[in-house]
Amino acid sequence: MKIWAIIKKEYKAIVKKKTFIISTILTPIIMGGMMFVPVLLMRMGRVEKKIAVADYSGGIYAKLVEFNKKKPTTPGTAEKKFDVNEAMSKPKLEDGDSKILFQAVNIGQRAPQDLIKEYEAKILNKEIDGLLLIPADVGQTRQASLYAKSISDFSTNQFISSSIRTIISQNLLLEKQIDPQIVSDATRDIDLETYKVKKEGTTKTSSGLDYILSLAMMVILFATLIGYGQIIMRSVLEEKNSRVVEILISSTRTTHLFFGKILGIGLAGLTQVAIWILCAMALVSRFSGALDSGIIGFLTPEIGFFFVIFFTLGFFLYSILFSLVGAAVNTDQEAQQFSAIITWMMLIPYLIGISVTQNPNATLAVVTSLIPLFTPILMFMRITGSMPPPLQIWFSIGATLLTIYLLAWLGAKIFRVGILMYGKKPTIKEIFRWLRYK
Amino acid sequence: MNDNVLMLNELVKDFNGKRAVDRISMSLAKGQILGLLGPNGAGKTTTIRMVLNIIIPDSGTIEILGQKFSEKMKDRIGYLPEERGLYRKLKVLDTLCFLAELKGMKTSVSRERGREMLKRFDLDAYENKKVEELSKGMAQKLQFIATILHSPELLILDEPFAGLDPVNIELVKDIILEKKREGVSVIFSTHLMDYAEKIVDSLVMINNGRKVLDGRLADIKSRYGKKFVHIEYAGDAGFVAKLPYVKSAKDYGREMEIELDNIAAKDRLLRDLMAKLTLDAFQLSEPSLQHIFLRNVQEGEKA
Repeated sequence: MKIWAIIKKEYKAIVKKKTFIISTILTPIIMGGMMFVPVLLMRMGRVEKKIAVADYSGGIYAKLVEFNKKKPTTPGTAEKKFDVNEAMSKPKLEDGDSKILFQAVNIGQRAPQDLIKEYEAKILNKEIDGLLLIPADVGQTRQASLYAKSISDFSTNQFISSSIRTIISQNLLLEKQIDPQIVSDATRDIDLETYKVKKEGTTKTSSGLDYILSLAMMVILFATLIGYGQIIMRSVLEEKNSRVVEILISSTRTTHLFFGKILGIGLAGLTQVAIWILCAMALVSRFSGALDSGIIGFLTPEIGFFFVIFFTLGFFLYSILFSLVGAAVNTDQEAQQFSAIITWMMLIPYLIGISVTQNPNATLAVVTSLIPLFTPILMFMRITGSMPPPLQIWFSIGATLLTIYLLAWLGAKIFRVGILMYGKKPTIKEIFRWLRYK
Repeated sequence: MNDNVLMLNELVKDFNGKRAVDRISMSLAKGQILGLLGPNGAGKTTTIRMVLNIIIPDSGTIEILGQKFSEKMKDRIGYLPEERGLYRKLKVLDTLCFLAELKGMKTSVSRERGREMLKRFDLDAYENKKVEELSKGMAQKLQFIATILHSPELLILDEPFAGLDPVNIELVKDIILEKKREGVSVIFSTHLMDYAEKIVDSLVMINNGRKVLDGRLADIKSRYGKKFVHIEYAGDAGFVAKLPYVKSAKDYGREMEIELDNIAAKDRLLRDLMAKLTLDAFQLSEPSLQHIFLRNVQEGEKA
């Protein structure tokens, strides 16, 4: 089969290149880096904060220190609020070490205003990271103030405010002579576990994870499509500019040439993604004990199946568009202009996708996911969220296949004309004659 | 009647309102070599591309290997395009195997035959080099090998000698003649009359998209008659064209092709020449293809 020769050649041309190996290795590292570096930076920025506590009420400071030390076991609201941090922090936190170091301020006779002034200077000199001001009537006003250079650390703020709230509640109850054990039980936080209900069985997930993972898969799809689309476009342009196309056309059918190229480069792209997925699976099974069960619950064979389906559909859909651009233009610059249009087209489902992950069954999501150009990304995202009705899934697959077929038919014709038009622009009449020609 | 491997009938092709090919007809008999001659822009390449179904004629018919063009016959044709080009990143032998596979040849066979041909063209040392590492001339040779590797019955060569040095022109010429002996039919285009003259059986001359002359080379030459004198000389030959009995003179510097009104004037010419020039050779001849070509093209332009 002649088409096989073309598939083989295009496939080898990519897979044997050094850039293929490099990008196969580097892409996960860069992607991983993009996900983990912010977390690392957050952690590094949180090396131990010294916060001075001016406790005018008198009954808060001691307990605050206690909460801070025994975080994981302390009965109180702080425990679960810190869950996210715990997952990202080193185990030493569980030993009772704290990232926040509270220091009592010897208030003496000083008014809050004077303290603030004094500590503003200290904070700017970096002697201390912050000043927590707890007024005497905090029980009534429920208002405390934190002065710091950086107040963006959301979890610290959460921890402080919820700790103070719990301490106040506990103090109030203790004042009423209630059994400390009851007080402790009464103020314990609720641990909300989330479960995803599916036909195949209910799995435990955390809702944030679903969102992040389907977003990550969408980014892989998007990046791969753009990357390989560009490769196809350049490959067509190269054949055209090096004039080798004339030999090819005189040797085989244009449709073979067209599909051989897309299939060959497509298989190379699938190979790369397959390598990534296999490595990821190997990692998951190796460290499955250490991983959140949510990730494993998310990466079901079903999701994998649909990823392959929609990746393939999206790949062919967009690579046909990219190869059309390659055939229609003459220079790299022109190609860039046209490919920008396709890239924008791919950005539309990406933008809609953000709302789709939040609400996979809204009308907007349903309608847009059935439009063939958007299906590969949006329908996949809906599937990762909550399984849409099978009719919609199969309809979208069918519609996309039909679109691919029509585009390919049209594409092979235009490819035939465009690829030989060195510099010469075909007239409309000429294009129609080519479309009629078998 | 059909001994013809190629028959073009009244081909017409317009590009943006300009007529590139105007009612061209020609035929090529099996095992013969046909030269498609004409100046740049005459319509040679357009004609060839129509033969190969790369572009479609506006009107006219083409019969090739006894039938209308079809996919199946692509394997039986070897085509060397005018605009040369190969995959720059592909290795030399891989290039041959890929193009041969597109012509339906098994890789195991094409590897072996490819190596032989590379050796013959003195490219065997480059077997595993990338095409972009070859010089322009080497790439030309490689492309020529790719054209003939699958043993086609019909060779269509667009400007096969362009860009080659004299040694390789001889080599290509030898191989064309060798193919002819094997029964392969060849059509090639060129504007280099000297090379065409030595190998064609028949020719078609086109200018501005129109056929100006065709027929067997021998017939065409005899039609012009032996009114020509070919001389090799030293000295100032500017006077020759002004001699009253000379119809035209084409001066090449050390050689000259002189057309007489009447062959009877040859003795007078010899005397006049010997008086003013040092002659190394004086020979009665048929007109060169170059002369016929120029005559026809110039007349065509005047008309």
